[in-house]
Amino acid sequence: MTLASVDYLILAVYFAFVVSIGWLLRKRVSTSEDFLISGRSVPVWITSLAFVAANLGAQELIGMSACGAKYGIMTAHFYWVGAIPAMIFVGVFMMPFYYGSRARSVPEYLKLRFDEKTRGLNAITFATMTVFSSGISMYALGLLFQLVLGWSFTASVLLSAVIVLVYTFLGGLTSAIYNEVLQFCLIVLGFSPLAILAVAKAGGWHGMATRLPAVMTHSWKYMSKASENPMGVEVFGMVAGLGFVLSFGYWCTDFLVIQRAMAADSMSGARRTPLIAAFPKMVIPFIVIVPGIAAVALHNMHIGYSLPAKGNGYDYDQVLTTLMAKFYPSGMLGVGLTALMASFMSGMAGNVTAFNTVWTYDIYQSYIRRGAPDSHYLWVGRLTTVFGVALSIGTAYLANLYNNLMDLLQLVFGFVNAPLFATFLLGMFWRRATGHGAFSGLLAGTGAAALTHGLTMAEGKGGWLAHIHTFPSTMAQNFWVAIFAWSVCFLVTVIVSLLTKPRPQQELRNLVYGLTDKPQEESKSWHHRPGVLAVVVGVVCVLLNIWFW
Amino acid sequence: MWDLRTPSGCFFGLLGLILCAVGVFAPDLRAPLTEANVNLYTGIVMLLFGVVLLWLARRAA
Repeated sequence: MTLASVDYLILAVYFAFVVSIGWLLRKRVSTSEDFLISGRSVPVWITSLAFVAANLGAQELIGMSACGAKYGIMTAHFYWVGAIPAMIFVGVFMMPFYYGSRARSVPEYLKLRFDEKTRGLNAITFATMTVFSSGISMYALGLLFQLVLGWSFTASVLLSAVIVLVYTFLGGLTSAIYNEVLQFCLIVLGFSPLAILAVAKAGGWHGMATRLPAVMTHSWKYMSKASENPMGVEVFGMVAGLGFVLSFGYWCTDFLVIQRAMAADSMSGARRTPLIAAFPKMVIPFIVIVPGIAAVALHNMHIGYSLPAKGNGYDYDQVLTTLMAKFYPSGMLGVGLTALMASFMSGMAGNVTAFNTVWTYDIYQSYIRRGAPDSHYLWVGRLTTVFGVALSIGTAYLANLYNNLMDLLQLVFGFVNAPLFATFLLGMFWRRATGHGAFSGLLAGTGAAALTHGLTMAEGKGGWLAHIHTFPSTMAQNFWVAIFAWSVCFLVTVIVSLLTKPRPQQELRNLVYGLTDKPQEESKSWHHRPGVLAVVVGVVCVLLNIWFW
Repeated sequence: MWDLRTPSGCFFGLLGLILCAVGVFAPDLRAPLTEANVNLYTGIVMLLFGVVLLWLARRAA
């Protein structure tokens, strides 16, 4: 694929705009809270789009279109079973505690609700994970641009990182959030024409259905047995593992997304952020997964498109870019690649801003230097931006050199994340839960995750302790590892809590259900009420599941 | 306080103009698998989107 000068012009215009948004916002930063949590002043439509965009990194786009080509419309379970119910839950039930507690971050909520050690554990693992995941996605982007455009790995990694650094350094979280909105619109406008063109060429949804195995165009029909679908997952593993444990664990506890909602200008805004975000989130499968499915149909039609080959199989990660090369002329091709770049930047800025806040408030201010004047923490926050980006770049190179190390790290992060939702659920809805309970639950849950992985095998992975069970796919293994981790964390937290001294109730005000005033429905009009929005989102989501049954 | 819709409107307006210009002055620029003038059509959509954002920002001010 070669780019014309107009494509470079479009890329340059985009870079100029994101940097100037940071420049325009620099005056709004005068305290550390302005820089790190946007001073809780962002309008709800902006936080909502940023909520989706921060998660919509380049890896999500590339990965989801690859899964679309590999597994078909079943991939949409990640959205319509996974993300949406969790987004409804966090908006309706959990946001009152996050926002109402006045915590500045998710680890800080854990400190207020439980104790210092629980916060420390969460803050340190989260900070490490964000740096690594932004480095890993930077690596993926550099590799893709090297492969597709022949750009040097170093040049694309450094260029994109420096631009993110400049606008985050200037305007802090506000700048990251505002740019995420621009990036989100660009992603949608840049990728939907591709979806429309590819699907039209493949003869519409029905045309695709006739050219593909039936399992690729039905999301639920082949889910009753793991052996009947290419994902190798059965209904229970899917709903409990992905739909409940993993998705709720991510959308309800990951500070990367929660931070966007917590930047909203009111409690009602914070609660509505994930709910309004659910609408664009539900539609994203149509612009990322469906083109992946269309690619397979086009491949089967033999009209000039073939899936990118790799060895004896296919390199599904390149589905999106090869489709672009076939459907976008110079000009639009520039927009498509800029959109890919934008998605990478929104994901990376999400990681960087979340890392900043957790590092500055939960690690530096708590363990390194307490009680300094606010200007000191603002300075630390800015410095952390530089430091965080530099660490990510380092990780990208590390990933380039030691691929297996990164796989191992991602596996370990998975073990740490899997039990988290049990801790938050008990923390928010059971006043008897104690800090010792939460801490030991988290450790036990992580241990259970590692143990499950060590005792089972799937596609040659796992089984490093013994081999007592075989899963049909690594995805099924992941889901079951999560289910065991969650259950063990839940049980251990309950048992240890009952054995330890509870905290006095007056200390738990605004932190636990039943000891917190019910949030007032501030406005009468329906689209301002979280409850009504939640019902509408839920109904649309159910209809989508039925439509693609 | 400035409105995000203004810079976004300018951005998409400008992008739309560039694409429309390419679509009009280089109409033969086509991708291998489609006969449509992709640049022109998406350019028009982006231009409209940009104009709507600018109009919304103006109305709110």
